[in-house]
Amino acid sequence: MPLLEVRGLTKVFGRLVALSGVDLIVGENEFRGLIGPNGSGKSTLLKCVAGAEMATEGTIRFGGRDVTIDTPTRRARAGISLKFQMTSVLPALTVYDNVLLAMQARSPIPRLIFSRTRGPLHERIMHTLEQFRLAQHSTKQAAVLSHGQQQWLEIAMALACKPRLLLLDEPTAGMSLEERRITGELLTAIKRHCSLVIVEHDLDFIRNICDILTVLDQGKVIDSGTVRYIQSSRKVQEVYLIRV
Amino acid sequence: MRCSHRRQVIPILEIMILVVFAAAPMMLADYLTVFVTRVLILALLALSFDLVWGYSGIMSFGQALFFGAAGYGVALLARDLGITSICIVLPAALGIGLILSFFIGGFLLLGRYPPTTIFVAMGTLTGSYAAERLARGWYYLGGQNGIPSIPPMTAGSYEFAEGRVYYYLAFSVLTIVYLVCRFVVRSQFGLALAGARDQEARILFLGYQAQKLKLTVFSLAGAIAGLAGALYAFHEGFVGPSMLGVVLSTQVVLYALFGGVGTLIGPIIGVIAIEIAGFWLADSFPKIWPIMLGLLLLVVTLFWPTGLVGAVVSEQERSGRFGRRPFPPRHTDAGADDAAA
Amino acid sequence: MGEKTEDKCSSPIISRRRLLQSVAWMSGAIATGVGSWSVQSDWANAAAGPIKVGIATDLTGAIAYVGNACANVAKMVVEDVNNAGGILGRPIELIIVDTASNESVGVANVRRLIQRDKVDVVLGGITSSMRNAIKDSIVTRGKTLYIYPEQYEGKECTPYLFCTGPTPAQQCDQIIPWLIKNGGKRFALPSANYIWPRVLNKYARGLIEKNGGEVIFEEYYPLDQMEYSATVNNIMTNNVEVVFNTIIAPGVGLFFKQLYQAGFGKRGGRLACVYYDENALNLNAPHEVEGLASCLDYYRAVTVQDPASAVIQAEYDKQFPGKILFAGAATGMYRGLKLWELAVKEAGSLDREHVAAALDNAKISEGPGGPAEMVPGKRHCKMNMYTAVAKNGKFEIVARSASLVDPREC
Repeated sequence: MPLLEVRGLTKVFGRLVALSGVDLIVGENEFRGLIGPNGSGKSTLLKCVAGAEMATEGTIRFGGRDVTIDTPTRRARAGISLKFQMTSVLPALTVYDNVLLAMQARSPIPRLIFSRTRGPLHERIMHTLEQFRLAQHSTKQAAVLSHGQQQWLEIAMALACKPRLLLLDEPTAGMSLEERRITGELLTAIKRHCSLVIVEHDLDFIRNICDILTVLDQGKVIDSGTVRYIQSSRKVQEVYLIRV
Repeated sequence: MRCSHRRQVIPILEIMILVVFAAAPMMLADYLTVFVTRVLILALLALSFDLVWGYSGIMSFGQALFFGAAGYGVALLARDLGITSICIVLPAALGIGLILSFFIGGFLLLGRYPPTTIFVAMGTLTGSYAAERLARGWYYLGGQNGIPSIPPMTAGSYEFAEGRVYYYLAFSVLTIVYLVCRFVVRSQFGLALAGARDQEARILFLGYQAQKLKLTVFSLAGAIAGLAGALYAFHEGFVGPSMLGVVLSTQVVLYALFGGVGTLIGPIIGVIAIEIAGFWLADSFPKIWPIMLGLLLLVVTLFWPTGLVGAVVSEQERSGRFGRRPFPPRHTDAGADDAAA
Repeated sequence: MGEKTEDKCSSPIISRRRLLQSVAWMSGAIATGVGSWSVQSDWANAAAGPIKVGIATDLTGAIAYVGNACANVAKMVVEDVNNAGGILGRPIELIIVDTASNESVGVANVRRLIQRDKVDVVLGGITSSMRNAIKDSIVTRGKTLYIYPEQYEGKECTPYLFCTGPTPAQQCDQIIPWLIKNGGKRFALPSANYIWPRVLNKYARGLIEKNGGEVIFEEYYPLDQMEYSATVNNIMTNNVEVVFNTIIAPGVGLFFKQLYQAGFGKRGGRLACVYYDENALNLNAPHEVEGLASCLDYYRAVTVQDPASAVIQAEYDKQFPGKILFAGAATGMYRGLKLWELAVKEAGSLDREHVAAALDNAKISEGPGGPAEMVPGKRHCKMNMYTAVAKNGKFEIVARSASLVDPREC
């Protein structure tokens, strides 16, 4: 059974049809890339899956359950995790506290009030920080991190609660070449326990980490397949006019 | 930027205020002690507002509603049932504040999506306004005149008269509540609140039930406001519709903003500063003191938007630390001391 | 010091000079911001020090014009008393604080009077809500006498709290029969929604029905209502002959205007509003309130009939020319101070029990509107009541009580 099953997804904003009849099937431990020209609806698709937008039509099933009308909180607790395009770390808090904020999300309120889960989570927080090369900055304010480091922090936060599906919206935007390389390494490392749907413009990056690419244009799926297949697809070339 | 390297200003302020106000009755004339007692009770109310706005991003123009409702509640207990025992009226006030804020908060804050700030502001404002009008028109509550001649609060046969005794009662309550609030906002719950305040939409996607967090803190703040209301009713000896209304609600907001929200000690300093300024001005300029007070408020909020405390406290200290001290990090930070904020 | 007292009594020039000195001192006090409005007496006769009188009234706020009139009267009376030798050989020190139309502020400032200034008596409060707020601090916790000078709804029976303003009985007993004779039998009672109108109406209704009248409707409106066309319609279509109004500012001016425009006066209707004094009359153009009947303890027109009133009025006008008129609670303030002065002289001390006992049956033979007498055991005051009708923007007396009217309280 596929992890994520999106069928016939349509999203309309007033008169603008952002998505039209989109199908997307993502399996366990699969890395799916979403590419397409600007305005093709990639971000909207991610948002609909995560619950930031509600679908106008169509169904979304996650782990066999229909989540089409679930609130973002419910979807997050079911295992979908979204990282927005814009950084949304809390700049005034320390790096450590940002990750803690993400990790304690499932703790019940009374345990939060008495800070009961902080001790048990400490190991996991430090491990995550090490994984994302932020351990030496753990007590610094998030605002002083470089842009790339802030993106990693956000990805770390998105992974904090061990989601089954991670949705990333242009994580490498604004990163240097070296930072992109590291990001690729970081993401590849999570493949064992998490699926990924990633929207990206950097096609080299996507080629390196994704198994399957889905191409969108003007709210519709143009084509879908392995990297090699997409590279030689006529349909994609017509739309994209760029060598993949 | 490490907290431990930068001197913390807030604890210094806290100690200063604690010492000054613990010693105050020894040095002040009786009538001034009575005046400061009232200020301490209002500080409790301002503290409740800081919890909801400064720490949780809920703009509540209705704290007076819980304050006044509890005030009326204990006044009715005293008038109709003859109950003035501290062991009953203070818990009753907490209960009234808690239950009322739970229901109003539930109505305003729960729902599929978190409400906008303006919705909550208007909702609480309306609640406060409606409550005042209701009280004004209801004969059982004394209508416009309110309920006068409330007998003093008792403990057994002992009466809590205004003066030093009541001062230390109010002071103790304020200190205890302050410590409780401090504990709560520095806990993991406080961290979650910071998330709910600054990035409410974002934390939903982390799996937080942000509305529940806000309802919890709103109810806590309502209980505190109720407690303040009972202390006020027995101290002043009367309750009136103005205790419920929009004017007092807005005054609370101003006190807190003036002192500096999001710091707990800020609103307390704000109340103290404004009330003392008002008292002194009324004495010296009996005809124009309201205008002067208004100008003072205006000047401070224009030039120091983060309030009196915000002017001396760094942004990072305002955001605070959460939970117990983190375990020492595995890698050393030697030489990595960025200068920020 | 004793001789100087004599000189001051007999020489009006010196007292005028002292007046100017006091004014200069007061101006200096404002400039340097010294204390609350303390009018310091500049001779301390006895070693016991001055007698302290505290005034707590609205110096700022919506009804400041009433409060300031009270404060002015207090200053005037105290100065006269001091000129005449004070009380028990001691001068009076007057301390005035602002209640600011805000109960919390009022209580805080009254506490100051009691605890810091340690006054021997407090006079003041205008609205009932203010009185209720401050009375505890004065009478119970402060163990001090309290004199409340304003017209109100009655039923204030707290010990050591004396009322010197008109009560519903005093305002209605005379005017209702007069209205039935000079207006008609069909009454409407449009009212503001708070306690005073409700209690007043209850009493009035009883009188109306006893005198053969009929209440067509009795309605209560929110205090800030400005639109009264429905009420006016009701009055016109139901052939109401007398409108016994208890709507107050800010709506009252508009209500009267709307009533006039609908032609109520033209068809012979009589407008009655017992609380209306000269200050209130200015809210409308004269033709809009022509014929309005009111019943109070004093009007300017009373000075024609009563020489003592004329003296008081003239003295006030001279000392306080301007817009704050001698009306409203100011008459009650005068009465209260004079009765209290008498009581202290009779008691021979400032002990609360003795003064209260003496005050309980105090009588003054001269005051605004005539003499006044405390009803023993009731702590309310008998006084002359005048029915007046507005003619051309001024009140003319049309009836006067045969004797001092009983307040019928407690």
